[in-house]
Amino acid sequence: MKKILAVIILVALFFSCSSDLDFNQVNDLKREPILVTNLGSFDAPAQLFTTGITESAVTTNFPIIKIFEDLYFKESLVKAEFFFEFNNTINSAFEIKLIFLDASGTKIDSILFDVPAYSGLPNVVRKTETFDGPHFELLKTATKITFVVKMLGSPLAIGSPGSLKLRSSATIY
Amino acid sequence: MPQSMLSNPGSDVKYSWFVGVPLVSGFSASMGSSGFSAFDLFANNGVDFNTKVRNLVLSTSRNDKVAINQQLEIFSGGFKLGDWQKASYFSFGMYQELDVLAYVPKDPLILALDGNQTYLNKVFDLGDLNAKGELLSVFHIGYHKNVSEKLILGVRGKLYSSIFNITSTKNSGYFYTTQGTNAIYDQVISSNILVHTSGFLNYLYNYSGNINSDISKKAFLGGNLGVGVDVGLTYYPQKNIQFTASLVDIGSIKHSKEVESYSYKGVYKFVGLTPNLTPGIPTGSLTNFSDAVPLDTLNVNYTSRRSLKFNSSIQYSFGNESNSDCNCSSDEENRYKNAIGAQLFVMSAPRLPLTALTAYYRRQIFEALEVKATYTIDSFSSKNIGFGLSTNLGKVNFYILADNLLEYKDIAKANSLSFQLGLNIIFPEKITPD
Repeated sequence: MKKILAVIILVALFFSCSSDLDFNQVNDLKREPILVTNLGSFDAPAQLFTTGITESAVTTNFPIIKIFEDLYFKESLVKAEFFFEFNNTINSAFEIKLIFLDASGTKIDSILFDVPAYSGLPNVVRKTETFDGPHFELLKTATKITFVVKMLGSPLAIGSPGSLKLRSSATIY
Repeated sequence: MPQSMLSNPGSDVKYSWFVGVPLVSGFSASMGSSGFSAFDLFANNGVDFNTKVRNLVLSTSRNDKVAINQQLEIFSGGFKLGDWQKASYFSFGMYQELDVLAYVPKDPLILALDGNQTYLNKVFDLGDLNAKGELLSVFHIGYHKNVSEKLILGVRGKLYSSIFNITSTKNSGYFYTTQGTNAIYDQVISSNILVHTSGFLNYLYNYSGNINSDISKKAFLGGNLGVGVDVGLTYYPQKNIQFTASLVDIGSIKHSKEVESYSYKGVYKFVGLTPNLTPGIPTGSLTNFSDAVPLDTLNVNYTSRRSLKFNSSIQYSFGNESNSDCNCSSDEENRYKNAIGAQLFVMSAPRLPLTALTAYYRRQIFEALEVKATYTIDSFSSKNIGFGLSTNLGKVNFYILADNLLEYKDIAKANSLSFQLGLNIIFPEKITPD
């Protein structure tokens, strides 16, 4: 009798229930992070344009997309938004062109900005460029970017005040 | 039961000799998760998995964790040396153990799921990454003795053979994005992440061997080796009051075979492109992120410490002595029909120790059946009710204990579950002279 009771107690311990679980849901996980970072900046003083120079062009490496690919977004980069903010306190208008180049130096794309001359009031120009679909796939092949800053109007006198500032950011999807 | 000597080498366990039935003398498994359960993530309830993941990330903290422990005794045995008044007890055996402890990597998870666009001014803590896991076998030999009428001391030496190990518990670093002045953002990453692994290397590159054979070899002292010791005592201030204390797994393992570690260390400030428009002055190159924060693969030896465990208990026994017709038990604690007590368990962990405080009632129901009911508050649950029994059918001892019995009504929602069972053959010692 004692041994039968012991067995009954043992068997009772083995009953349990569980809610229905589905571990295959892991395959439904969608990671869609949105990362923001700096794209570039410069602060060009008016003195740069007082020696008769009206255009300045600088080419630099453009590894922005590679930075995100290096982190972990390799397979999931689908779109980029570039935000540009120009603040001009120089008494001259400017035309700024950003030219994206591939490894062989061939132009892939460009963005044009017209920044009016400073007239004493806040003079900020903002623009957002969106790259998605095939346009973004093309941008991913860019390895260099050329900044071309062209002063419109008469050459500046020596000692002219002000500067042309650029701040820009990238939002990567 | 003899397996109590594995949590306290100074347990008051006496025998002429015993042998554990190979592979079934001791099997235990426990799982604990704080902050979430399997149901929260994997319930088949029509809720989108991504919603469940986000809810989990929002509702947990970096101190929430998953802990898994499993032990399988391969063989065990023991014998007595000396006469009935001055006996010493030896025990030995081998068991396999699996340990996993992983904290919720909250900030890296948020970054991986959502990015940083909506988290300006938040400092992501890369030290949230904290996890370790190990599969190993342990060979042990123990000794305990009554050094006086009231005091039993015991010690157990251990030889560890690690089969697989992964350790990443000393990470630090941060990543933040705030509004900038000269640039749109001030954005910096400082990373100090290191992941050690051992035992996996051969399987990563063109492996053509037999994994079962490899694991067997590593289990029988072919893996990364280490040594450890357990110490413990049992003290009877009075005949029916018992106090125990032990330290288990004071030891470490040196990993030198099949080691591969991954480091992700460096500092990078995301300033973006900074073209210099001054003619004749070159523009500096943008430092590559992968140069500033490189992912390096290293093959360096490392040492891992076993998680140190502290066990202590106090017990008061009462009631008539178990059976006047048969003074069958030589263990002091089993001379009484009833006992109440409290147990404390503390285990070292990378952050706060894991703890459990238990109150219990033990009763000798029949000559051959003892039962125990427990209530425990631990790092995973405040409603942990357990039950156990140990029965001796002739020389055969069978035991089973299960905790978190309330969770068995739906184990998918359990925050912790544990059980252990086993089968031994015990020849009790003679407690009277011939």
